[in-house]
Amino acid sequence: MPPKGKKGGGGAKDKKGGEDERQEPLQAVVLCDSFETRFNPFTLERPRCLLPLANTPLIEYTLEFLAGSGAEEVFLYCGNHTDTVEEYLQNSKWLSNTAPFSLEIIRSTSRSVGDCMRDLDQKGLIVGDFICVYGDVVANISLEGALAAHRASREKNKNAIMTMVLREAGENHRTKPTHMRPTFVIDQDTGRCVHYEQIRPGQSATLDVPGEVLKDHVDLDVREDLIDCGIDICTPNVLAQYTDNFDWQLPRRGFLYGILKDFETFQLTIHTHIVTEEYAARVKNLQAYDAISRDVVSRWTYPLTPDTNLVAGQTFQLHKGSVYREEGVVLARSSNVGRNCVLGKATSVGDHSNITNSVIGRRCVIGSRVKIDGAYIWDDARIGDDTVIEKAVIANEASIGKRCKVEQGALISYGAKVSDGTTISGDRRVTTLKRKRGYEKDEVVQVPADPKIVGEDGIGYHMQFDEDEEEEVAEALLVGMQNMDLTVDDISTFDSDEEDDEDDYEPSHARTGSTRSDSFASIDSEESGENKSSVQEFHREAVNSLFDDMKKGTDPDTMQLELKSMRLTANAEDKQVRRALAVAFNKRVANLIESGKSPKEAAETLFPTYNRLVKGCVSSDEEYEQAEFLMFIQTDLTHRAQGEKMMLFLSNALATNDLIEPDGFEKWWNDERSTASEQLVAIRKDTEQLVKVLCEDDEDDSEEEEDSDDE
Amino acid sequence: MPAPTVGQAPSLNTFLKSLKGTEIETSIELLISLLKRRQIKNSRPCAIATAKLLLQVVAEQRWRSAQDLIKRIRDVGRKLVAAQPREMAVGNIVRRVLGVVREVAEEDQDSTSNIAPESLPGSPAIVGQSLHRPALPSNISGFSPLSHGAALPQNVQTQPQSGTSSPSLDGSVDSPPRRPPMPNAGGSYAGAAPHTSLFGIFQHPQGASPIGTPPIGSGTASPIPKSKKDQEEQKEKLDIKAEVIDGIKDLLEELDIVDKQIAESALDHIHSNEIILTHTSSQTVQAFLTAAARKRKFTVIHVEAYPNDHESTHSTIVNGGQKTGDDAEGDERWKPLTAMGIKVIVIPDSAVFALMSRMNKVILAPHTVLANGSLIAAAGASTIAQAAKVHHVPVVVLSGVYKLSPVYPFDTDEMIEYGDPGKVIPYQDGEFMDKVDVVNPVYDFVDAELVDLYITNLGGHAPSYLYRIVADHYRTEDIDLTSKT
Repeated sequence: MPPKGKKGGGGAKDKKGGEDERQEPLQAVVLCDSFETRFNPFTLERPRCLLPLANTPLIEYTLEFLAGSGAEEVFLYCGNHTDTVEEYLQNSKWLSNTAPFSLEIIRSTSRSVGDCMRDLDQKGLIVGDFICVYGDVVANISLEGALAAHRASREKNKNAIMTMVLREAGENHRTKPTHMRPTFVIDQDTGRCVHYEQIRPGQSATLDVPGEVLKDHVDLDVREDLIDCGIDICTPNVLAQYTDNFDWQLPRRGFLYGILKDFETFQLTIHTHIVTEEYAARVKNLQAYDAISRDVVSRWTYPLTPDTNLVAGQTFQLHKGSVYREEGVVLARSSNVGRNCVLGKATSVGDHSNITNSVIGRRCVIGSRVKIDGAYIWDDARIGDDTVIEKAVIANEASIGKRCKVEQGALISYGAKVSDGTTISGDRRVTTLKRKRGYEKDEVVQVPADPKIVGEDGIGYHMQFDEDEEEEVAEALLVGMQNMDLTVDDISTFDSDEEDDEDDYEPSHARTGSTRSDSFASIDSEESGENKSSVQEFHREAVNSLFDDMKKGTDPDTMQLELKSMRLTANAEDKQVRRALAVAFNKRVANLIESGKSPKEAAETLFPTYNRLVKGCVSSDEEYEQAEFLMFIQTDLTHRAQGEKMMLFLSNALATNDLIEPDGFEKWWNDERSTASEQLVAIRKDTEQLVKVLCEDDEDDSEEEEDSDDE
Repeated sequence: MPAPTVGQAPSLNTFLKSLKGTEIETSIELLISLLKRRQIKNSRPCAIATAKLLLQVVAEQRWRSAQDLIKRIRDVGRKLVAAQPREMAVGNIVRRVLGVVREVAEEDQDSTSNIAPESLPGSPAIVGQSLHRPALPSNISGFSPLSHGAALPQNVQTQPQSGTSSPSLDGSVDSPPRRPPMPNAGGSYAGAAPHTSLFGIFQHPQGASPIGTPPIGSGTASPIPKSKKDQEEQKEKLDIKAEVIDGIKDLLEELDIVDKQIAESALDHIHSNEIILTHTSSQTVQAFLTAAARKRKFTVIHVEAYPNDHESTHSTIVNGGQKTGDDAEGDERWKPLTAMGIKVIVIPDSAVFALMSRMNKVILAPHTVLANGSLIAAAGASTIAQAAKVHHVPVVVLSGVYKLSPVYPFDTDEMIEYGDPGKVIPYQDGEFMDKVDVVNPVYDFVDAELVDLYITNLGGHAPSYLYRIVADHYRTEDIDLTSKT
């Protein structure tokens, strides 16, 4: 035996001696469920972490990354689909005897990341510093540097509780989210994150950096060019903080905000570790899915590329031009597979078909003269002859007929079938299932086919976006909708109720920034200041909660109470409550209209049930408040279908229930803000008659009164 | 499982440390994932890891006969090769170990009656002996390029199949005695023999000369004889095991001293006031140049091998050879050349052609040497070799025999690994990377005709002679590991 080996053995012994003193094993927590719906309709049936990215389930990348970083104990948190995840992992190498680390799957009823953390704290599994990642991280960075940085900042300052790993990316980058830009304000010397905000494009890019921060730190970096890959190195104290603050739901907007806000009180600090080499990103949404797939195929994630064959049984080989093929791929002689393609096992491609920049799963059958560019086609899909597929996602066992056209951005879910000669436009999400909202648990139910979408013998319907009250729901909806091609047009066809609860975030406003400022300027002017984000937050939460309650038919008293408590927590003004209520009403009415009611019926169902709510925030004596309430309704209606009808019937209902006095109507009608733009004028056109009648009545009344007085 | 340092990324060192006391299957899986993640890369670390792992495989108790062992090693080898087909050193070591096992088995069968055939293995072996073997089982058509072996006609592999179908204790069915019995030391060991005695003095201060010392592995394994087993079979098995373990240890020994052996011929090739061009941070080349620098003064032009290896090239030039992680003592061979009074000039890869006319010699270190004398080396090697050809500068390749692979280059494109394009274009440059396909080949293919001389630990060879060394080191039946037995 050469001395090297001897030395190695000696080293091992020394190490063992040292290990006793050295602390705990390196632990990691994987959050498999991100409690979001951004991957709907695909995540209805499968958890996000098992969605294939370049034909390998996402979780494999994450676990491989952890194994590569030397993690020894891994805890996996699942929410939805725990069984599926567990079944998958049982059959994988990660739960076999030869696994590089011990993996424990934790079932929980958590509804958010915060719940997971609190649960983890209760279970007491974590003994030391741990890595917290999502189940959709694709990374090849070495964590050694980050861990060392974390330890260093720990040594300097006991209160350093977390280190976030961030990947530098330039100003414009496909892997960066386009709809929301996390902005970090970082102290240059210590790498401490002193302020964090999420900026949305189109919003005025102002940061609200607290004065103390500016006073305490000499050099500050304001970084907007970072990819937040969701890799955090945490101390157990992080869990304790989550437990202490039971309302924190999310690691960034809950936890990070909270810690930074309470810095004065608790002196806890959060550090950043910025990586400038190697790869780290999160498959956060479909846009990121597209970008990261391309990164993987063009080897930016090396060595985590398809030809590494991470999963047992894969046999990918790299061919010229970044084409990866597994064994048993059958390509017709006249077919053409261009650059950056991945073809899974036993997939066949027919004559004269042309495939470029696409990922195609196993056992797919692709007919003749098919043109596929930039598509993601998962296992067992069938594509008929002469079909054209652009940048779309086609899930397992989906079947596309002959001469079809699947346009850019379409999503076709599991088992859907598109019959011959159909065109699926880019805003469609074709699926066969639907999530039914239950009180305890959401159920997934089968939905009958919609021949308008999938053709005569097709299977599937167009899925409207389900609503969810998660923090980043706005992002979820705007996924890939802007610059990214994937699902580019979705915004226009989202059912109106969804679109509208995000007044301030809605891209159409962003695009037509000038109109927005015209119409909202006077109303929103006070908001544009420092508390803008909290105002939006409140608005969004309030609208969602009101709308949900209306849907469920909750007792108005309870709603009133909720609204009040929300108002107090957010320290919101009456005006905002009115606005929220106005928007919620509109949303509900729009929702009812969509379900088949006439605008009149819809408007009338709200009253007098919710009289209380209106009375609570709109005083019957204050003309100004009434006018403002109407103004909010009007403004909100500008982007709803049948806005003018709704305006009419809502006004009518409000008037007949004596919620708004004629004076209020008059004031509104005469207010120049209500005619500020053409849209606004259009909305109130139908209502003109009503207002006239009301005002005349009023005048008559007063005249009469006057008369009687005179008498 | 012995845990690595908290937060320490796994590497060759952690793997070697974890090897002891870990379940063998876990170790195999660990090595596979390390290879896949490229946390063990380059020929030498791969070779060392593979050899040590196979040592453990042999040391485990499970196998009954030599045939079983061969099958087991083939299985393990197949998995390892599939994990990273472009690290051919892995496959080479697996084949070498298989060769050792087969030899031991044949020998054992030849001397059926007297079971202690050669108690002093290898010590009387002479360098020449390995070159005088009569059998030349070189069947080029059976060589498989990478993992494509499965797709090739497999008629060549029918032989071993028949062998395992009847797992008789002796390997008589398997290998017709084409080869005369050899001393159980591997072929290259024979070549290494004279040096071991020389270097053993420095290498083994505890006096544990590899020759004749009872192998460590057998020490743990042998005292557990199962009484119910047939005594004779047991004895035979133990013998095979001890000898195979010896053979693998010799292999490891060879890996350890290969640089020194190659460096011995340095003075024959490097003369005073020559200008030598070299490439990458190869330890072998550094040792070679250092050996020459002790006696002679010359100038070295060092091509930096951007972007995959330039950092270690720079550190090699400034600090001397990279310490492969383990705390290597301040050995002389790690002194930078500049400290020995040698002028070293670093140039970018693009300047190679301009400077080539002034060179006296080009020294390259390959990643893998292929059976036909061509080689795969770090990207940039092809440019250098072509430029040298144009200027008629001799190209000398320094390679340990362990880098010599029986693979025949049918499809050279497939042997090239493509690395992280982020080293060429920063990932930060979003717009660029979005619109441009960036490739970063890690290796280059250099054709045999561009190489003038190979220097291995067996001495200097013409490229056209390499097939012979291949034939000496690998058995035909082992060349295609992918065939299912």
